[in-house]
Amino acid sequence: MKNALITGASRGLGLALARQLAKDGWGLIIDARGERSLEQARLELSGFTNVIAIPGDITTGSHREDLSKAAVQMGGIDALVNNASYLGPSPQPALLDYPLDVLEDVYLTNVITPLAVIQTLRATLRPEACILNITSDAGVEAYEGWGGYGSSKAALEQLSAILAKENPALRIYWVDPGDMQTQMLQEAFPDEDITDRPLPEESVPGLMALIEGGKPSGRYNANALVKSPG
Amino acid sequence: MTLLVTSDFEFSLPAELEASEPPEARGLRRDQVRLMISNYSNDQIRHARFHDLPEFLNEGDVIVINTSRTRNSALMALRADGTPLELHLSTHQTADYWTVELRSIQPDGKSKHFEDACEGDVLSLPGEGKAVLKGPYISDCDPDLKQPSQTLWLAELNFPIRLDDYLSRFGFPIRYNYVKERWPLSYYQTVYATESGSAEMPSAGRPFTHELLSRLESKGIQVAPLILHTGVSNLETHEPPYKEFYQVSSLTAQMVNGARSSGRRVIAVGTTVVRTLETVAEVDGKVHAGEGWTCKVITAQYKLRTVNALLTGMHEPQATHLAILQSLAGLDHIKLAYSEALHHGYLWHEFGDLHLIMP
Repeated sequence: MKNALITGASRGLGLALARQLAKDGWGLIIDARGERSLEQARLELSGFTNVIAIPGDITTGSHREDLSKAAVQMGGIDALVNNASYLGPSPQPALLDYPLDVLEDVYLTNVITPLAVIQTLRATLRPEACILNITSDAGVEAYEGWGGYGSSKAALEQLSAILAKENPALRIYWVDPGDMQTQMLQEAFPDEDITDRPLPEESVPGLMALIEGGKPSGRYNANALVKSPG
Repeated sequence: MTLLVTSDFEFSLPAELEASEPPEARGLRRDQVRLMISNYSNDQIRHARFHDLPEFLNEGDVIVINTSRTRNSALMALRADGTPLELHLSTHQTADYWTVELRSIQPDGKSKHFEDACEGDVLSLPGEGKAVLKGPYISDCDPDLKQPSQTLWLAELNFPIRLDDYLSRFGFPIRYNYVKERWPLSYYQTVYATESGSAEMPSAGRPFTHELLSRLESKGIQVAPLILHTGVSNLETHEPPYKEFYQVSSLTAQMVNGARSSGRRVIAVGTTVVRTLETVAEVDGKVHAGEGWTCKVITAQYKLRTVNALLTGMHEPQATHLAILQSLAGLDHIKLAYSEALHHGYLWHEFGDLHLIMP
Protein backbone atom coordinates (compact mmCIF):
# COMPACT_ATOMS: atom_id res chain seq x y z
CA MET A 1 0.00 0.00 0.00
CA LYS A 2 1.22 3.47 -0.82
CA ASN A 3 0.62 6.64 1.12
CA ALA A 4 -0.13 10.18 0.01
CA LEU A 5 -0.20 13.46 1.88
CA ILE A 6 -2.47 16.14 0.43
CA THR A 7 -2.65 19.66 1.78
CA GLY A 8 -5.92 21.54 1.47
CA ALA A 9 -7.89 18.34 1.00
CA SER A 10 -11.29 19.28 2.41
CA ARG A 11 -12.70 20.59 -0.87
CA GLY A 12 -12.00 21.28 -4.53
CA LEU A 13 -9.12 19.59 -6.31
CA GLY A 14 -7.53 18.32 -3.07
CA LEU A 15 -10.67 16.43 -2.07
CA ALA A 16 -11.28 15.13 -5.59
CA LEU A 17 -7.74 13.73 -5.73
CA ALA A 18 -8.06 12.28 -2.21
CA ARG A 19 -11.24 10.46 -3.26
CA GLN A 20 -9.53 8.86 -6.25
CA LEU A 21 -6.45 7.83 -4.25
CA ALA A 22 -8.68 6.42 -1.49
CA LYS A 23 -10.63 4.34 -4.01
CA ASP A 24 -7.33 3.02 -5.34
CA GLY A 25 -6.34 1.96 -1.82
CA TRP A 26 -3.78 4.62 -0.99
CA GLY A 27 -3.32 5.50 2.67
CA LEU A 28 -3.97 9.22 3.17
CA ILE A 29 -2.86 12.06 5.37
CA ILE A 30 -5.04 15.09 4.74
CA ASP A 31 -4.99 18.58 6.13
CA ALA A 32 -7.12 21.72 5.91
CA ARG A 33 -7.85 24.70 8.10
CA GLY A 34 -11.58 24.08 8.52
CA GLU A 35 -11.99 21.39 11.14
CA ARG A 36 -15.59 20.54 10.31
CA SER A 37 -15.18 20.17 6.54
CA LEU A 38 -11.98 18.17 7.05
CA GLU A 39 -13.77 15.80 9.42
CA GLN A 40 -16.48 15.36 6.82
CA ALA A 41 -13.86 14.49 4.22
CA ARG A 42 -12.19 12.06 6.62
CA LEU A 43 -15.49 10.27 7.32
CA GLU A 44 -16.17 9.85 3.63
CA LEU A 45 -12.63 8.73 2.71
CA SER A 46 -12.21 6.35 5.62
CA GLY A 47 -14.87 4.16 4.04
CA PHE A 48 -12.23 3.25 1.48
CA THR A 49 -8.87 3.48 3.17
CA ASN A 50 -6.74 4.36 6.16
CA VAL A 51 -6.96 8.15 6.66
CA ILE A 52 -5.27 10.47 9.13
CA ALA A 53 -6.85 13.94 9.09
CA ILE A 54 -5.08 16.76 10.89
CA PRO A 55 -6.79 20.13 10.93
CA GLY A 56 -4.51 23.14 11.11
CA ASP A 57 -2.79 26.00 9.37
CA ILE A 58 -0.18 24.62 6.95
CA THR A 59 1.85 27.85 7.21
CA THR A 60 2.74 27.01 10.83
CA GLY A 61 5.72 24.84 11.69
CA SER A 62 4.05 22.92 14.52
CA HIS A 63 1.24 21.79 12.23
CA ARG A 64 3.76 20.61 9.65
CA GLU A 65 5.55 18.66 12.41
CA ASP A 66 2.26 16.92 13.23
CA LEU A 67 1.92 15.93 9.58
CA SER A 68 5.46 14.56 9.66
CA LYS A 69 4.70 12.41 12.71
CA ALA A 70 1.61 11.05 10.97
CA ALA A 71 3.81 10.26 7.97
CA VAL A 72 6.22 8.31 10.20
CA GLN A 73 3.26 6.41 11.69
CA MET A 74 2.15 5.44 8.20
CA GLY A 75 5.63 4.29 7.23
CA GLY A 76 6.47 7.12 4.87
CA ILE A 77 5.05 9.07 2.00
CA ASP A 78 4.98 8.01 -1.66
CA ALA A 79 3.18 11.09 -2.98
CA LEU A 80 3.30 14.55 -1.44
CA VAL A 81 0.76 16.95 -2.92
CA ASN A 82 1.18 20.64 -2.19
CA ASN A 83 -2.33 21.66 -3.12
CA ALA A 84 -3.30 24.28 -0.50
CA SER A 85 -3.00 27.78 -1.86
CA TYR A 86 -4.28 31.27 -1.27
CA LEU A 87 -5.76 33.51 -3.97
CA GLY A 88 -5.49 36.79 -2.10
CA PRO A 89 -8.24 39.43 -2.03
CA SER A 90 -11.46 38.85 -3.93
CA PRO A 91 -11.79 40.50 -6.33
CA GLN A 92 -8.06 40.58 -7.00
CA PRO A 93 -6.61 44.08 -7.04
CA ALA A 94 -4.22 45.42 -9.69
CA LEU A 95 -0.60 45.26 -8.61
CA LEU A 96 -0.27 49.02 -8.04
CA ASP A 97 -3.12 48.78 -5.54
CA TYR A 98 -2.15 45.40 -4.08
CA PRO A 99 -2.03 45.45 -0.25
CA LEU A 100 1.51 44.33 0.52
CA ASP A 101 0.67 42.57 3.75
CA VAL A 102 -1.77 40.37 1.84
CA LEU A 103 0.85 39.80 -0.85
CA GLU A 104 3.18 38.51 1.84
CA ASP A 105 0.51 36.05 2.93
CA VAL A 106 -0.02 34.93 -0.66
CA TYR A 107 3.71 34.25 -1.04
CA LEU A 108 3.90 32.60 2.36
CA THR A 109 1.10 30.17 1.49
CA ASN A 110 1.94 29.56 -2.16
CA VAL A 111 5.75 29.63 -2.26
CA ILE A 112 7.42 29.34 1.13
CA THR A 113 4.98 26.89 2.70
CA PRO A 114 5.14 24.25 -0.07
CA LEU A 115 8.91 24.26 0.34
CA ALA A 116 8.56 24.13 4.13
CA VAL A 117 6.25 21.12 3.79
CA ILE A 118 8.84 19.34 1.64
CA GLN A 119 11.63 20.22 4.06
CA THR A 120 9.69 18.93 7.06
CA LEU A 121 8.56 15.77 5.29
CA ARG A 122 11.84 15.00 3.51
CA ALA A 123 12.89 12.32 5.96
CA THR A 124 9.58 10.54 5.42
CA LEU A 125 9.73 10.45 1.62
CA ARG A 126 10.05 6.88 0.43
CA PRO A 127 12.35 5.92 -2.45
CA GLU A 128 11.07 7.27 -5.77
CA ALA A 129 8.42 9.34 -4.00
CA CYS A 130 6.77 12.02 -6.09
CA ILE A 131 6.02 15.59 -5.17
CA LEU A 132 3.19 17.44 -6.89
CA ASN A 133 3.17 21.20 -6.57
CA ILE A 134 -0.14 22.49 -7.90
CA THR A 135 0.44 25.65 -9.90
CA SER A 136 -1.61 27.53 -12.47
CA ASP A 137 -1.43 28.94 -15.98
CA ALA A 138 -1.53 32.30 -14.18
CA GLY A 139 2.05 31.45 -13.20
CA VAL A 140 3.06 31.50 -16.87
CA GLU A 141 0.65 33.88 -18.63
CA ALA A 142 0.41 37.54 -17.59
CA TYR A 143 -3.29 37.99 -16.80
CA GLU A 144 -4.38 41.41 -15.60
CA GLY A 145 -5.48 41.26 -11.99
CA TRP A 146 -3.53 38.05 -11.29
CA GLY A 147 -0.29 39.79 -10.25
CA GLY A 148 -0.21 38.48 -6.70
CA TYR A 149 -1.39 34.88 -7.15
CA GLY A 150 0.17 34.53 -10.61
CA SER A 151 3.63 35.73 -9.62
CA SER A 152 3.56 33.49 -6.52
CA LYS A 153 2.78 30.48 -8.73
CA ALA A 154 5.60 31.51 -11.08
CA ALA A 155 7.93 31.44 -8.08
CA LEU A 156 6.61 28.00 -7.10
CA GLU A 157 7.27 26.74 -10.63
CA GLN A 158 10.88 27.89 -10.63
CA LEU A 159 11.38 26.57 -7.11
CA SER A 160 10.06 23.19 -8.24
CA ALA A 161 12.31 23.15 -11.31
CA ILE A 162 15.42 23.77 -9.21
CA LEU A 163 14.34 21.26 -6.58
CA ALA A 164 14.01 18.67 -9.35
CA LYS A 165 17.57 19.33 -10.53
CA GLU A 166 18.87 19.05 -6.99
CA ASN A 167 17.03 15.77 -6.24
CA PRO A 168 17.30 13.35 -9.16
CA ALA A 169 15.97 10.37 -7.16
CA LEU A 170 12.63 12.11 -6.57
CA ARG A 171 9.96 12.77 -9.15
CA ILE A 172 8.99 16.41 -8.85
CA TYR A 173 6.06 17.71 -10.86
CA TRP A 174 4.67 21.20 -11.06
CA VAL A 175 1.25 20.87 -12.49
CA ASP A 176 -1.29 23.20 -14.02
CA PRO A 177 -4.64 21.55 -13.23
CA GLY A 178 -6.55 23.81 -15.66
CA ASP A 179 -9.63 25.92 -14.94
CA MET A 180 -11.94 24.24 -12.47
CA GLN A 181 -15.24 25.01 -10.75
CA THR A 182 -13.83 25.59 -7.32
CA GLN A 183 -14.34 28.02 -4.49
CA MET A 184 -11.04 29.63 -5.45
CA LEU A 185 -12.12 30.26 -9.04
CA GLN A 186 -15.39 31.72 -7.78
CA GLU A 187 -13.42 34.09 -5.57
CA ALA A 188 -11.29 35.07 -8.56
CA PHE A 189 -14.41 35.86 -10.58
CA PRO A 190 -16.87 36.87 -7.87
CA ASP A 191 -19.59 38.12 -10.20
CA GLU A 192 -19.36 35.48 -12.89
CA ASP A 193 -21.21 32.25 -13.38
CA ILE A 194 -18.44 29.64 -13.45
CA THR A 195 -20.67 26.59 -13.81
CA ASP A 196 -19.51 26.19 -17.41
CA ARG A 197 -16.00 25.28 -16.16
CA PRO A 198 -15.02 21.67 -15.68
CA LEU A 199 -15.36 20.09 -12.25
CA PRO A 200 -12.11 19.48 -10.34
CA GLU A 201 -12.71 15.73 -10.81
CA GLU A 202 -11.82 16.19 -14.46
CA SER A 203 -8.27 17.20 -13.57
CA VAL A 204 -7.74 14.14 -11.37
CA PRO A 205 -6.89 11.56 -14.08
CA GLY A 206 -3.99 13.77 -15.19
CA LEU A 207 -2.65 13.98 -11.64
CA MET A 208 -3.06 10.22 -11.21
CA ALA A 209 -1.11 9.66 -14.42
CA LEU A 210 1.77 11.59 -12.88
CA ILE A 211 1.57 9.91 -9.48
CA GLU A 212 1.38 6.38 -10.88
CA GLY A 213 3.43 6.79 -14.04
CA GLY A 214 7.17 7.05 -14.27
CA LYS A 215 7.31 10.41 -16.01
CA PRO A 216 10.42 12.50 -15.51
CA SER A 217 10.31 15.56 -13.27
CA GLY A 218 8.91 18.62 -15.00
CA ARG A 219 5.97 20.92 -15.68
CA TYR A 220 2.79 19.23 -16.79
CA ASN A 221 -0.72 20.23 -17.72
CA ALA A 222 -3.19 17.84 -16.08
CA ASN A 223 -5.67 17.94 -18.95
CA ALA A 224 -3.08 17.52 -21.69
CA LEU A 225 -1.72 14.44 -19.90
CA VAL A 226 -4.96 12.58 -20.36
CA LYS A 227 -6.27 13.98 -23.63
CA SER A 228 -3.20 13.65 -25.80
CA PRO A 229 -1.60 10.24 -26.20
CA GLY A 230 1.69 9.67 -24.40
CA MET B 1 41.57 -14.91 18.76
CA THR B 2 42.25 -11.22 19.03
CA LEU B 3 38.98 -9.41 19.39
CA LEU B 4 39.75 -5.80 18.82
CA VAL B 5 40.43 -4.99 15.24
CA THR B 6 42.91 -2.29 14.54
CA SER B 7 44.70 -1.32 11.42
CA ASP B 8 47.76 0.86 11.13
CA PHE B 9 46.54 2.51 8.01
CA GLU B 10 45.12 5.98 7.96
CA PHE B 11 44.26 8.27 5.13
CA SER B 12 41.78 11.02 4.54
CA LEU B 13 39.06 10.45 2.02
CA PRO B 14 38.08 13.57 0.05
CA ALA B 15 34.30 14.08 -0.02
CA GLU B 16 34.20 14.04 -3.83
CA LEU B 17 35.45 10.45 -3.82
CA GLU B 18 32.43 9.22 -1.88
CA ALA B 19 29.95 7.70 -4.34
CA SER B 20 26.83 9.64 -3.45
CA GLU B 21 24.49 7.90 -5.90
CA PRO B 22 24.30 4.63 -7.85
CA PRO B 23 26.40 4.42 -11.03
CA GLU B 24 23.12 4.19 -13.00
CA ALA B 25 22.37 7.74 -11.88
CA ARG B 26 25.76 8.73 -13.30
CA GLY B 27 24.77 7.27 -16.68
CA LEU B 28 26.73 4.03 -16.23
CA ARG B 29 25.68 0.41 -16.27
CA ARG B 30 26.44 -1.53 -13.10
CA ASP B 31 29.42 -3.18 -14.75
CA GLN B 32 30.89 0.07 -16.05
CA VAL B 33 32.29 1.16 -12.70
CA ARG B 34 36.07 1.21 -12.51
CA LEU B 35 38.20 -1.75 -11.55
CA MET B 36 41.70 -1.50 -10.11
CA ILE B 37 43.69 -4.72 -10.38
CA SER B 38 46.60 -4.98 -8.00
CA ASN B 39 49.00 -7.90 -7.74
CA TYR B 40 50.50 -8.24 -4.31
CA SER B 41 53.30 -10.54 -5.48
CA ASN B 42 54.91 -7.83 -7.60
CA ASP B 43 52.98 -4.65 -6.68
CA GLN B 44 51.74 -4.23 -10.25
CA ILE B 45 48.65 -2.02 -10.52
CA ARG B 46 46.38 -1.79 -13.54
CA HIS B 47 43.20 0.17 -14.23
CA ALA B 48 40.17 -1.08 -16.14
CA ARG B 49 36.39 -1.18 -16.12
CA PHE B 50 34.53 -3.85 -14.21
CA HIS B 51 33.19 -5.46 -17.39
CA ASP B 52 36.83 -6.21 -18.34
CA LEU B 53 37.05 -8.60 -15.36
CA PRO B 54 37.20 -11.84 -17.45
CA GLU B 55 40.43 -10.63 -19.08
CA PHE B 56 42.20 -10.78 -15.73
CA LEU B 57 41.05 -14.24 -14.73
CA ASN B 58 41.96 -17.71 -15.98
CA GLU B 59 40.09 -20.86 -16.76
CA GLY B 60 39.58 -22.86 -13.59
CA ASP B 61 39.61 -19.87 -11.25
CA VAL B 62 36.74 -19.94 -8.76
CA ILE B 63 34.81 -16.83 -7.86
CA VAL B 64 32.92 -17.15 -4.57
CA ILE B 65 29.87 -14.92 -4.22
CA ASN B 66 27.52 -14.09 -1.36
CA THR B 67 23.97 -14.55 -2.61
CA SER B 68 22.22 -13.11 0.46
CA ARG B 69 19.41 -10.74 -0.55
CA THR B 70 19.22 -7.31 1.00
CA ARG B 71 16.12 -6.48 3.03
CA ASN B 72 14.36 -3.18 3.48
CA SER B 73 15.97 -2.95 6.92
CA ALA B 74 15.24 0.67 7.86
CA LEU B 75 11.94 1.65 9.43
CA MET B 76 10.55 4.94 10.54
CA ALA B 77 9.82 4.95 14.25
CA LEU B 78 8.27 7.26 16.81
CA ARG B 79 9.51 7.40 20.36
CA ALA B 80 6.87 7.73 23.08
CA ASP B 81 7.71 11.45 23.41
CA GLY B 82 7.06 11.96 19.68
CA THR B 83 10.68 12.10 18.55
CA PRO B 84 10.85 10.74 15.01
CA LEU B 85 13.67 8.19 14.61
CA GLU B 86 14.93 5.66 12.15
CA LEU B 87 15.24 2.05 13.30
CA HIS B 88 17.81 -0.10 11.51
CA LEU B 89 17.31 -3.85 11.84
CA SER B 90 20.74 -5.46 11.95
CA THR B 91 20.40 -9.16 12.68
CA HIS B 92 17.43 -11.40 13.44
CA GLN B 93 18.56 -13.18 16.61
CA THR B 94 15.77 -15.50 17.60
CA ALA B 95 11.97 -15.42 17.73
CA ASP B 96 11.03 -11.73 18.01
CA TYR B 97 14.49 -10.57 19.08
CA TRP B 98 16.68 -8.46 16.85
CA THR B 99 19.77 -6.37 17.15
CA VAL B 100 18.93 -2.87 16.04
CA GLU B 101 20.45 0.57 15.74
CA LEU B 102 18.50 3.75 16.41
CA ARG B 103 19.27 6.87 14.42
CA SER B 104 17.93 10.38 14.76
CA ILE B 105 17.06 12.52 11.77
CA GLN B 106 18.71 15.91 11.51
CA PRO B 107 16.86 18.89 10.01
CA ASP B 108 19.05 18.60 6.90
CA GLY B 109 17.78 15.06 6.32
CA LYS B 110 20.98 13.39 7.50
CA SER B 111 20.89 10.76 10.19
CA LYS B 112 23.18 10.04 13.10
CA HIS B 113 23.38 7.50 15.86
CA PHE B 114 20.71 8.31 18.46
CA GLU B 115 22.40 8.57 21.84
CA ASP B 116 19.46 9.04 24.17
CA ALA B 117 17.74 5.69 23.89
CA CYS B 118 16.98 3.92 27.17
CA GLU B 119 16.28 0.39 28.19
CA GLY B 120 12.52 -0.15 28.12
CA ASP B 121 11.87 2.48 25.44
CA VAL B 122 8.85 1.59 23.35
CA LEU B 123 8.87 2.71 19.74
CA SER B 124 5.80 2.75 17.57
CA LEU B 125 6.44 1.49 14.07
CA PRO B 126 4.35 1.99 10.92
CA GLY B 127 1.23 -0.10 10.42
CA GLU B 128 0.90 -0.77 14.16
CA GLY B 129 4.26 -2.42 14.59
CA LYS B 130 6.15 -2.05 17.87
CA ALA B 131 9.71 -2.26 19.16
CA VAL B 132 10.79 -2.52 22.80
CA LEU B 133 14.44 -1.90 23.67
CA LYS B 134 15.60 -4.67 25.99
CA GLY B 135 19.12 -3.45 26.64
CA PRO B 136 22.45 -2.78 24.92
CA TYR B 137 23.47 -5.79 22.85
CA ILE B 138 26.17 -7.90 24.42
CA SER B 139 28.00 -9.96 21.85
CA ASP B 140 28.44 -13.57 22.87
CA CYS B 141 31.37 -13.97 20.52
CA ASP B 142 33.83 -13.89 23.37
CA PRO B 143 32.44 -15.26 26.63
CA ASP B 144 35.22 -13.54 28.59
CA LEU B 145 34.46 -10.08 27.30
CA LYS B 146 30.96 -9.02 28.22
CA GLN B 147 31.21 -5.58 26.70
CA PRO B 148 27.88 -3.92 25.89
CA SER B 149 27.70 -2.48 22.37
CA GLN B 150 27.74 1.29 21.99
CA THR B 151 25.76 1.01 18.79
CA LEU B 152 23.43 -1.95 18.88
CA TRP B 153 20.41 -2.65 21.07
CA LEU B 154 18.67 -5.92 21.62
CA ALA B 155 15.03 -5.24 20.82
CA GLU B 156 11.80 -7.18 20.80
CA LEU B 157 9.90 -6.44 17.61
CA ASN B 158 6.25 -7.07 16.90
CA PHE B 159 4.84 -6.85 13.42
CA PRO B 160 1.14 -7.30 12.65
CA ILE B 161 1.92 -9.22 9.44
CA ARG B 162 4.61 -11.56 8.16
CA LEU B 163 8.09 -10.08 8.46
CA ASP B 164 8.92 -10.09 4.74
CA ASP B 165 5.56 -8.55 3.84
CA TYR B 166 5.95 -5.98 6.57
CA LEU B 167 9.42 -4.91 5.52
CA SER B 168 8.60 -4.79 1.83
CA ARG B 169 5.60 -2.61 2.62
CA PHE B 170 6.97 -0.31 5.31
CA GLY B 171 10.75 -0.61 5.22
CA PHE B 172 13.33 1.00 3.01
CA PRO B 173 17.01 0.35 2.43
CA ILE B 174 19.53 1.46 5.04
CA ARG B 175 21.32 4.54 3.81
CA TYR B 176 24.20 6.52 5.26
CA ASN B 177 24.80 10.21 4.84
CA TYR B 178 27.19 10.02 1.90
CA VAL B 179 24.30 8.77 -0.23
CA LYS B 180 22.22 11.87 -0.83
CA GLU B 181 18.85 10.33 -1.54
CA ARG B 182 16.73 7.27 -0.90
CA TRP B 183 16.97 4.72 -3.69
CA PRO B 184 14.64 1.73 -4.01
CA LEU B 185 15.70 -1.72 -2.84
CA SER B 186 16.46 -2.85 -6.40
CA TYR B 187 19.51 -0.58 -6.33
CA TYR B 188 20.73 -2.47 -3.26
CA GLN B 189 20.40 -5.96 -4.74
CA THR B 190 23.01 -8.01 -6.54
CA VAL B 191 21.65 -9.65 -9.71
CA TYR B 192 22.26 -13.11 -8.26
CA ALA B 193 20.75 -12.57 -4.79
CA THR B 194 18.54 -15.42 -3.61
CA GLU B 195 17.77 -15.77 0.09
CA SER B 196 16.63 -12.66 1.93
CA GLY B 197 18.41 -11.69 5.16
CA SER B 198 21.04 -8.96 4.82
CA ALA B 199 20.66 -5.58 6.50
CA GLU B 200 23.08 -4.04 4.02
CA MET B 201 23.99 -5.10 0.51
CA PRO B 202 27.04 -7.36 0.11
CA SER B 203 28.20 -4.63 -2.23
CA ALA B 204 31.30 -6.08 -3.88
CA GLY B 205 28.95 -8.16 -6.01
CA ARG B 206 26.82 -5.24 -7.15
CA PRO B 207 28.64 -4.61 -10.47
CA PHE B 208 28.06 -8.15 -11.79
CA THR B 209 25.49 -8.39 -14.57
CA HIS B 210 23.97 -11.57 -16.02
CA GLU B 211 25.86 -10.85 -19.23
CA LEU B 212 29.18 -10.62 -17.40
CA LEU B 213 28.46 -13.81 -15.45
CA SER B 214 27.85 -15.72 -18.67
CA ARG B 215 31.08 -14.36 -20.19
CA LEU B 216 32.93 -15.60 -17.11
CA GLU B 217 31.25 -18.96 -17.41
CA SER B 218 32.12 -19.30 -21.09
CA LYS B 219 35.75 -18.66 -20.23
CA GLY B 220 35.67 -21.59 -17.80
CA ILE B 221 35.65 -19.49 -14.65
CA GLN B 222 33.49 -21.07 -11.98
CA VAL B 223 31.09 -19.20 -9.74
CA ALA B 224 30.42 -20.73 -6.31
CA PRO B 225 27.65 -19.32 -4.10
CA LEU B 226 27.45 -19.10 -0.33
CA ILE B 227 25.35 -17.06 2.07
CA LEU B 228 26.26 -14.68 4.83
CA HIS B 229 23.49 -12.39 6.07
CA THR B 230 25.12 -9.05 6.86
CA GLY B 231 24.26 -6.87 9.83
CA VAL B 232 24.68 -3.10 9.99
CA SER B 233 28.17 -1.94 9.18
CA ASN B 234 28.73 1.24 11.08
CA LEU B 235 29.97 0.00 14.43
CA GLU B 236 32.23 2.30 16.37
CA THR B 237 35.89 1.53 16.00
CA HIS B 238 37.03 -0.91 18.67
CA GLU B 239 33.57 -2.35 19.16
CA PRO B 240 33.52 -6.09 19.58
CA PRO B 241 32.26 -7.97 16.51
CA TYR B 242 28.86 -9.58 16.43
CA LYS B 243 27.78 -12.85 14.95
CA GLU B 244 26.29 -13.30 11.50
CA PHE B 245 24.48 -16.29 9.99
CA TYR B 246 26.18 -18.22 7.16
CA GLN B 247 25.57 -21.20 4.90
CA VAL B 248 28.09 -23.03 2.71
CA SER B 249 26.96 -25.92 0.50
CA SER B 250 29.05 -29.02 -0.11
CA LEU B 251 29.21 -28.17 -3.82
CA THR B 252 30.75 -24.78 -3.06
CA ALA B 253 33.18 -26.42 -0.63
CA GLN B 254 34.19 -28.91 -3.33
CA MET B 255 34.76 -26.16 -5.90
CA VAL B 256 36.92 -24.16 -3.51
CA ASN B 257 38.91 -27.22 -2.44
CA GLY B 258 39.36 -28.28 -6.06
CA ALA B 259 40.75 -24.93 -7.09
CA ARG B 260 43.06 -24.81 -4.09
CA SER B 261 44.47 -28.29 -4.61
CA SER B 262 45.21 -27.61 -8.27
CA GLY B 263 46.84 -24.26 -7.55
CA ARG B 264 44.17 -22.10 -9.14
CA ARG B 265 42.84 -18.90 -7.71
CA VAL B 266 40.00 -18.63 -5.24
CA ILE B 267 38.58 -15.12 -5.51
CA ALA B 268 36.30 -13.96 -2.72
CA VAL B 269 33.74 -11.39 -3.82
CA GLY B 270 33.57 -9.21 -0.76
CA THR B 271 34.86 -9.44 2.77
CA THR B 272 31.72 -11.36 3.84
CA VAL B 273 32.87 -14.25 1.67
CA VAL B 274 36.32 -14.21 3.31
CA ARG B 275 34.71 -14.26 6.74
CA THR B 276 32.51 -17.21 5.78
CA LEU B 277 35.16 -19.34 4.07
CA GLU B 278 37.59 -18.84 6.95
CA THR B 279 34.80 -19.94 9.29
CA VAL B 280 34.35 -23.28 7.54
CA ALA B 281 38.08 -23.89 6.95
CA GLU B 282 40.19 -26.47 8.69
CA VAL B 283 43.75 -25.70 9.75
CA ASP B 284 45.11 -26.82 6.39
CA GLY B 285 42.70 -24.55 4.55
CA LYS B 286 40.36 -27.27 3.37
CA VAL B 287 36.79 -26.00 3.61
CA HIS B 288 33.69 -28.00 4.40
CA ALA B 289 29.98 -27.43 4.07
CA GLY B 290 28.31 -25.85 7.05
CA GLU B 291 25.81 -23.42 8.44
CA GLY B 292 25.53 -21.50 11.65
CA TRP B 293 26.65 -18.28 13.28
CA THR B 294 30.14 -16.95 12.77
CA CYS B 295 32.15 -14.79 15.12
CA LYS B 296 35.25 -14.98 12.95
CA VAL B 297 37.40 -11.89 13.11
CA ILE B 298 40.12 -11.31 10.59
CA THR B 299 42.86 -9.04 11.79
CA ALA B 300 45.75 -7.70 9.78
CA GLN B 301 47.93 -10.40 11.35
CA TYR B 302 45.52 -13.24 10.59
CA LYS B 303 46.84 -15.81 8.13
CA LEU B 304 44.19 -16.48 5.48
CA ARG B 305 43.80 -20.17 4.72
CA THR B 306 41.18 -20.30 2.00
CA VAL B 307 41.38 -17.46 -0.49
CA ASN B 308 44.27 -15.91 -2.35
CA ALA B 309 42.37 -13.18 -4.17
CA LEU B 310 39.71 -10.67 -3.20
CA LEU B 311 37.34 -8.52 -5.20
CA THR B 312 36.14 -5.71 -2.97
CA GLY B 313 34.99 -2.13 -2.85
CA MET B 314 37.08 0.75 -1.59
CA HIS B 315 37.07 0.84 2.19
CA GLU B 316 36.98 3.84 4.47
CA PRO B 317 39.99 4.82 6.55
CA GLN B 318 40.01 2.85 9.79
CA ALA B 319 37.36 0.43 8.53
CA THR B 320 37.85 -2.97 10.07
CA HIS B 321 37.53 -4.40 6.57
CA LEU B 322 40.91 -2.91 5.72
CA ALA B 323 42.44 -5.45 8.08
CA ILE B 324 41.14 -8.22 5.81
CA LEU B 325 42.83 -6.62 2.81
CA GLN B 326 46.04 -6.34 4.80
CA SER B 327 45.94 -9.95 5.91
CA LEU B 328 45.72 -10.95 2.25
CA ALA B 329 48.15 -8.57 0.60
CA GLY B 330 50.19 -6.93 3.34
CA LEU B 331 50.10 -3.36 4.55
CA ASP B 332 52.62 -1.98 2.06
CA HIS B 333 50.75 -3.28 -0.94
CA ILE B 334 47.40 -1.94 0.26
CA LYS B 335 48.97 1.45 0.97
CA LEU B 336 50.35 1.50 -2.55
CA ALA B 337 47.05 0.48 -4.13
CA TYR B 338 45.07 2.97 -2.07
CA SER B 339 47.33 5.86 -2.98
CA GLU B 340 46.84 4.92 -6.64
CA ALA B 341 43.08 4.79 -6.15
CA LEU B 342 43.05 8.17 -4.43
CA HIS B 343 45.27 9.61 -7.14
CA HIS B 344 43.06 8.26 -9.93
CA GLY B 345 39.84 9.44 -8.29
CA TYR B 346 38.29 6.06 -7.55
CA LEU B 347 34.91 6.22 -5.85
CA TRP B 348 34.32 4.74 -2.40
CA HIS B 349 31.38 2.90 -0.74
CA GLU B 350 28.65 0.58 -2.02
CA PHE B 351 27.91 2.51 -5.22
CA GLY B 352 31.57 3.09 -6.01
CA ASP B 353 34.46 1.40 -7.80
CA LEU B 354 36.05 -2.01 -7.27
CA HIS B 355 39.44 -3.40 -6.40
CA LEU B 356 40.67 -6.85 -7.41
CA ILE B 357 43.58 -7.98 -5.26
CA MET B 358 45.43 -10.99 -6.69
CA PRO B 359 48.70 -12.81 -6.08
